[in-house]
Amino acid sequence: MRFFYLLVLAVTLTSSGLLAQPAPASKAKAAPAKKPRIVKMFMRDGLRFEPPRLVAEPGEQIVVEIENNDSTDQTHNFVLLRPGTRDAVVQAGLALAEKGPVLEYVPPSADVLVHSRLLAAEGSGSIAFTVPTTPGIYPYVCTFPGHGMIMYGALYAGVTPPPIEKDPNLPPMVAHGAVAGGGQRPFAQRIFMPDAGPAAVAIALVGSQNVCWDAGQCRLRYAWQGSFIDASENWAGNGKILPIVPTKPWWRALKDDFPLRFGAVDSAAPKVKFLGYAATTTGPVFHYRAGVTEVYEHVLPAAGRPGIALRLQIPRAPGLVFYRTAADPNAQWTSSAGTWRDGVLMLTPAQAADVTLTLTSALCTP
Amino acid sequence: MNLVKLCSHMLALFAVTAFASAAETTPPADARVAQHYAIGKISTPPGVDPQLGGLALLPDGRLAAAFHHGQVAFYDFKTLNWKIFAEGLHEPLGLLLGQDGSLLVMQRPELTRLRDTDGDGVADRYEALWEDFGMTGNYHEFAFGPVRGPNGKLYVSLNLASAGDTIREEIRGEWSPIGLSREKFYDVADWKKNSTAAGRMYGRVKWRGCIMEIDEATGAAELFATGFRSPDGMGFDAAGNFFVNDNQGDWRGTSPVHVVQRGGFYGHPASLVWRPDWEGTEPLKLPIEKLNALRTVAAINLPHSFYASSPTAMILIPQTAAWSPFGGQMIVGEMNSGRVLRLLPEQVDGVWQGACVSFVDSQALRGGIHRLLFVGDTLYVGRTHLIWAGGEGIGTVKLTKTPFEALTMHATPDGFRFTFTAPLAAGAAEPARWPVRRYYYKYHEPYGSPQTELTQITPSKVTVSADGLSAEVAFADLKPGFIYDFNLSGLTSKQGESPLNPAIAYSLNKVPAK
Repeated sequence: MRFFYLLVLAVTLTSSGLLAQPAPASKAKAAPAKKPRIVKMFMRDGLRFEPPRLVAEPGEQIVVEIENNDSTDQTHNFVLLRPGTRDAVVQAGLALAEKGPVLEYVPPSADVLVHSRLLAAEGSGSIAFTVPTTPGIYPYVCTFPGHGMIMYGALYAGVTPPPIEKDPNLPPMVAHGAVAGGGQRPFAQRIFMPDAGPAAVAIALVGSQNVCWDAGQCRLRYAWQGSFIDASENWAGNGKILPIVPTKPWWRALKDDFPLRFGAVDSAAPKVKFLGYAATTTGPVFHYRAGVTEVYEHVLPAAGRPGIALRLQIPRAPGLVFYRTAADPNAQWTSSAGTWRDGVLMLTPAQAADVTLTLTSALCTP
Repeated sequence: MNLVKLCSHMLALFAVTAFASAAETTPPADARVAQHYAIGKISTPPGVDPQLGGLALLPDGRLAAAFHHGQVAFYDFKTLNWKIFAEGLHEPLGLLLGQDGSLLVMQRPELTRLRDTDGDGVADRYEALWEDFGMTGNYHEFAFGPVRGPNGKLYVSLNLASAGDTIREEIRGEWSPIGLSREKFYDVADWKKNSTAAGRMYGRVKWRGCIMEIDEATGAAELFATGFRSPDGMGFDAAGNFFVNDNQGDWRGTSPVHVVQRGGFYGHPASLVWRPDWEGTEPLKLPIEKLNALRTVAAINLPHSFYASSPTAMILIPQTAAWSPFGGQMIVGEMNSGRVLRLLPEQVDGVWQGACVSFVDSQALRGGIHRLLFVGDTLYVGRTHLIWAGGEGIGTVKLTKTPFEALTMHATPDGFRFTFTAPLAAGAAEPARWPVRRYYYKYHEPYGSPQTELTQITPSKVTVSADGLSAEVAFADLKPGFIYDFNLSGLTSKQGESPLNPAIAYSLNKVPAK
């Protein structure tokens, strides 16, 4: 009703050897036909495609469902190209001049693999196609005059994409915006995270360190260095696709092991209750209850060394406090107070009132 | 010429005519709406994804809005500027001003209180007011609200998980052993089969499919009602009755609007396992008669796609001159079209029922109407879509000239009594001008329902009042349990106008006693 639905263009690209041959309809090979994967693509204010990039398997059948949600009433199209031809096609589109409208600004070029209709604001359409079998980075672009220099993205077919903010195939502004928080540090983003409970917090610390803190379990889960999460596909969808942690974590906590113990190192893990956090200029200060004991846990970059630090403040520790760490040949824990033995830090109540634990690793770089 | 090129050329040629015919023109219906309502928009914060999860009015007159990527921003109506107040929230889907001046926001993992303790205009405390509910990490586990009841309590609703996906390895909270074993949820290769046994929508962690009552000061939570699927819209009428709507789907023949009481069960069985008195029977295996006996039926059914496919926020129209004569009536948003509907509930011998009718229905309003807020004489509509049909940004609506249409509709012992916003022209007493499609939607596990026992009927008698402002419409056999879906396009006002929104559907649960 709201959208005038444009044609579904079911195009199987078979020419030029570059593109996947359609699967032969052989009875001997009676593998059930896989349903094409549906990918949503939005055209957004500020001449943007969202998501700014797609990842697909060579030869995969996909349907890109496109909606022009540009509230500034701009008209757009989606044109998928052969690798490395974006500038040339955009120029060819401009050169159409008065012939442009008739061709919906798509230049007749062998570099154009598939394209949508021209979509007015609020318009939608979809294109079904087979991803080329040749691995490569296939640009997509809006060829409406004046848009192509800014409004583009990339389909990665069988090629691992680089961290999004370093992706040379994306518009610089988009690459920046795809990182949650837009590059702010510190920044805390509550979001589904891989290898954590569903109530997770991703934190970009000042500098280059990042951590995942689990608000359901009230503990640090892992740390990685480099760029922050790319949540663009999580946000472009309904939350099903997890954000991308762009580099391998250099440290992980043990699964199912809450690190704090009260009274004795092998006492039962206390039940935790998350109480929230304070946003500070150096990183969030989490507040939770472990058993009946209130804990403040400030996550911040390690001072003077590559790594992270946890400033723990337990104002009313009921007795000795133990902080257990996982055996990790690369990780090194130190603390401003207390006694370490076998990877366990023991703190008196007075020490636990304010102690900073520092975690560094041979895998971290300055 | 290779095939790609050929395709491209053919499509381009074909495109010309198709596109030309789809050129943007205002459809006649929208042009009519424009004669009565001024529809516009305001900006959204630059660089912020413009999908709206919540709207609230601040004491200083600014508009607060929660956005899809987790920002809360304030809009100053004088400077027309936005200021970011909070960031990094997880899919916030509701905003409410706290009684202590803080801002309450419902995000996926918790009900959070945002505070600005240092007065710099930016939130620095994100306090968990209530987080003691389950999460499996399934994408459909949205959290809606809060709304505040007349008793000062907060109410939130928790979406069920969808069999469109399974659960995460790590979950939060207790897992109900009732139903498909948790191991089967991890047997992803067989998920299609397993998902059928899980239920189309499932609620195996706490309070999924439930309405919860929260104490605003302490965060103490209590189960309030069960039986929901995807209850995005909650609201109270002027008398303090609590309305909650839900989405068409499994166990939802069409989208219902319920009037919710403490302890009630409203139809979707998944959440029954969280009732304290539940004895371990798998709700999906209960005979339908048993579920029927347990449940309270919808007060108002929103016939699917004709009226609403995915209802959202419910608020009251202010009783101001600007919105007369509609003041005090309840409206509800709709995701799948640019439509806001009026709801006309009433209680007959203790049973809730009533009608729905379009209010503002125009492509100019776009789709995805998710959150509604009146500020002064303007209705603000916040839109969203995620991966579904919808829209983006914030629209505005003002009533400029009252349209001719039904204003109220009540059940009577013989049929229905209508009032209109303008006097009816002569001829309105002809029964043929009041055609009705009578049907119901099935209560069953499959997704949605056809319009069942659909019959075209006309009234036996229509009596129009002397002033032409009301009409009594009688039927020979008035059947409870049916929707009476009127098409009033055959009526005209004395000024010669036809109704702006001619379709009005009454869910008749109970025929009033004579």
